[in-house]
Amino acid sequence: MILKSIRLRNFRAHENSEIQFDDRANLLVGPNGAGKTNILEAIYMMCLSRSFLTSSDRYVLRKDAPHFEIEGVFESEKRVPIKVRVAFVPGEGKKIFVGGAPLDRFSELVGRFPVVIFSPEDQQLTSDGPEVRRRFLDNIISQTSSVYLDHLLRYGKALKQRNELLQISRKRRTAPDPMLPESWTEELIRHGSHLILARHKFVTDFSNHLESAYQKIGTVVERPSLSYDPFSDTSLQQLDLIKSDQSGADIVWSIDRIQDLFRIEIARKAASERDRGITLVGPHRDDLEMSLGLLPVRRFASQGQHRTFGMSMKLAQYEYLKERNSEKPILLLDDVFDNLDPMRIGAFLDILGSNAIGQSITTAARKEIVHDHLNGMSCHTIEVCSGGHVQPSLLEIALEL
Amino acid sequence: MQFTSETVESLVDQFARLPGIGRKTARRLAAFVLKLPKSEVEQMAKALIAVKEKVVFCSVCFNVTDHDPCPICASSKRNHEIICVVEEPNDVMAIERTHGFNGVYHVLGGAISPLDGIGPEDLRIRELIGRVNGKSGAVTSEPMVKTKEVILAVNPSVEGDTTAYYISQLVSPFGIKVTRLAQGISVGSDLEFTDEATLTRALEARVSV
Ligand SMILES: [Zn+2]
Repeated sequence: MILKSIRLRNFRAHENSEIQFDDRANLLVGPNGAGKTNILEAIYMMCLSRSFLTSSDRYVLRKDAPHFEIEGVFESEKRVPIKVRVAFVPGEGKKIFVGGAPLDRFSELVGRFPVVIFSPEDQQLTSDGPEVRRRFLDNIISQTSSVYLDHLLRYGKALKQRNELLQISRKRRTAPDPMLPESWTEELIRHGSHLILARHKFVTDFSNHLESAYQKIGTVVERPSLSYDPFSDTSLQQLDLIKSDQSGADIVWSIDRIQDLFRIEIARKAASERDRGITLVGPHRDDLEMSLGLLPVRRFASQGQHRTFGMSMKLAQYEYLKERNSEKPILLLDDVFDNLDPMRIGAFLDILGSNAIGQSITTAARKEIVHDHLNGMSCHTIEVCSGGHVQPSLLEIALEL
Repeated sequence: MQFTSETVESLVDQFARLPGIGRKTARRLAAFVLKLPKSEVEQMAKALIAVKEKVVFCSVCFNVTDHDPCPICASSKRNHEIICVVEEPNDVMAIERTHGFNGVYHVLGGAISPLDGIGPEDLRIRELIGRVNGKSGAVTSEPMVKTKEVILAVNPSVEGDTTAYYISQLVSPFGIKVTRLAQGISVGSDLEFTDEATLTRALEARVSV
């Protein structure tokens, strides 16, 4: 997928900006606060319906403006142009149009315009809490499976409802009707088990991509790995006791087995759930363990290793999405080169220049950060001045050699 | 801002209360009403009052009706052994439009939703169990027939799913077949807004739960 052009109206720093992009590497340069990142934010919103920086559309509205609007023209691999328009009016909400037709549900958008964003926050993937990793999982699997996204949205609703029911029961100190909690537990398990199975399958398929991505960026040859263990050993043993025929070395992941385990865990935590009034079991509490060699990254990795691991995860995400989509994802790189050592910048630009990557859009405070390492690769450069004013690429440098 | 007519403004307020109507549309509707002849406006106003004065709930199926029991419950041409359970009266209309269902209905009046403060006791679930149990109570004139099948035609939402599960657990001990509409209905959409062909297919391909 290629983004040919974008127009921003009253979007953050941009009063009315129009930008044309090249089909390959693009560089947005300008001082901090000029609105470079906002352009990536707008592109991301056209692809996935929301910002990667905030959950509220109101915050991206330019101060005192009545509404914001993003309009982009994409082009598919088959050279078919597709217009996407995002419009937001406070009080009326956001509307998204694809090819002129409004979307009933924003989830219909996800996956049509595959996108991967690299940002300085990628380090949080290895250093921060589990919710960052769950967001990563959800973002990538949703872009390849609308069924997953549907289960995810429904799981979220069922979870809210079940928590509310637990709260009400706690206040009343009794659950008046035992069938009611069971009904919500079943709904939670119904959607949650699909999330768990999909996440398990993802981790298995993703490993190869992660390893090869790490080799491309990393300098040392530790082996990166991910592991996903949604159920406790106690529950696994308990299931083996109930269904002795299933025990053995080969653990089969199936919906039925996941649902059995889910029920066992819920039953084990029932008392604590009643006490605390919240759901304590399920994929909303999942985590991914990330390791280098045998050591967990979170506790043992150096700053540089965290950085490399985070970038490898994103590069692997790109490859994973590319493999599953007829369209190459659009790659967005937000300020990732500013604090990177020259060797990694070089390695990364080599990847951007290779045929493996389709269109990329990079932001940097100074163009030299990128241009000094271009190594003969051409890069469409766009200046973003303060106030979101975009210079029609006066500084275009095409270093074709 | 000063309104030139408080009366028009209050009509706009009333229209704006309707679901799916924003202030802009409400203004257009008010302007339309202003241009109508008085007799037509009176007809409109009468229709509004009449729904509150004449319409009652059917004591058997809890659908809205002018006469209790409703024409469907009173009809001897309908198959009273099959009960189709829906959330709202509009869902009955949606299924009737398919002409593909000859059984009777039961309108729950919503779906279980703790966040909206709606529990099973706020819906007509007890009354449904009474019907399938053969103890419909004294109010009903429904012929005493043994229910053979309960079709759960609730919305394909998490609330609808949960309500369906809850009801199926209560109904199955009576040895009655419980089915659910096939999920041919586009996910997330309400029954009411499903087109007739899709709804017909979903009815035909209903699955046991
Ligand atoms: Zn009736």
